[in-house]
Amino acid sequence: MQSMNMQPLTGKELEYIVDSISNEELLLKQCAATAASIQQPAIQQVCLQFARTHEHHMNLLLNALQQHQQLAPMQPQQ
Amino acid sequence: MYPQNNMSFMPAEDLLHTILADLKRTVGEYTTATTESNCSSVRQMFTDLTNDTLRAQGDLYRLMSQNNMYSASSKALRVDLDKQIQEARKKQQECQQFIQQKSSSAGGYGQPMHQQGQPSHQHNPYYM
Repeated sequence: MQSMNMQPLTGKELEYIVDSISNEELLLKQCAATAASIQQPAIQQVCLQFARTHEHHMNLLLNALQQHQQLAPMQPQQ
Repeated sequence: MYPQNNMSFMPAEDLLHTILADLKRTVGEYTTATTESNCSSVRQMFTDLTNDTLRAQGDLYRLMSQNNMYSASSKALRVDLDKQIQEARKKQQECQQFIQQKSSSAGGYGQPMHQQGQPSHQHNPYYM
């Protein structure tokens, strides 16, 4: 199903994916740092769980870039 | 010198607030990215990320709320609610009149609107 729907990334899509990777990276670091400095174990666990979610999101975004790599044209197109 | 106490560089409440604020900003960007997508697989990915991030934001809000770290804004007064309902009904009536006028000149657009906030059970699977 994926390959049928797959089209080369537009410049806009590429920028959104790259910006999203930065957002996820920041959230991942914030969650990890918060988990490390928080005293309540229950909240600490939730922060660690959030960190895993953001790590997963980063992987999804990076995979999307890789999946579109071969489809990208070598030259600018009209 | 920094004060020698057991405080981290920010209180837990502030740290969680910054995460919550970034989740709100990120979910807004994911929504925009979804609407700006051309490739359907990219759109699907951004739709999933929007939903996932909204869920995370809601979970964190609930956690903070339960730990008295966040309070919702004050409750809307009955008098304000009454006033807004009255204005919304007026708008609805004006809209219905507008649609009736238009439907008399354009055939096939004569379906009456749903009345008084009844939920619509119509389902359009093709929304792209």
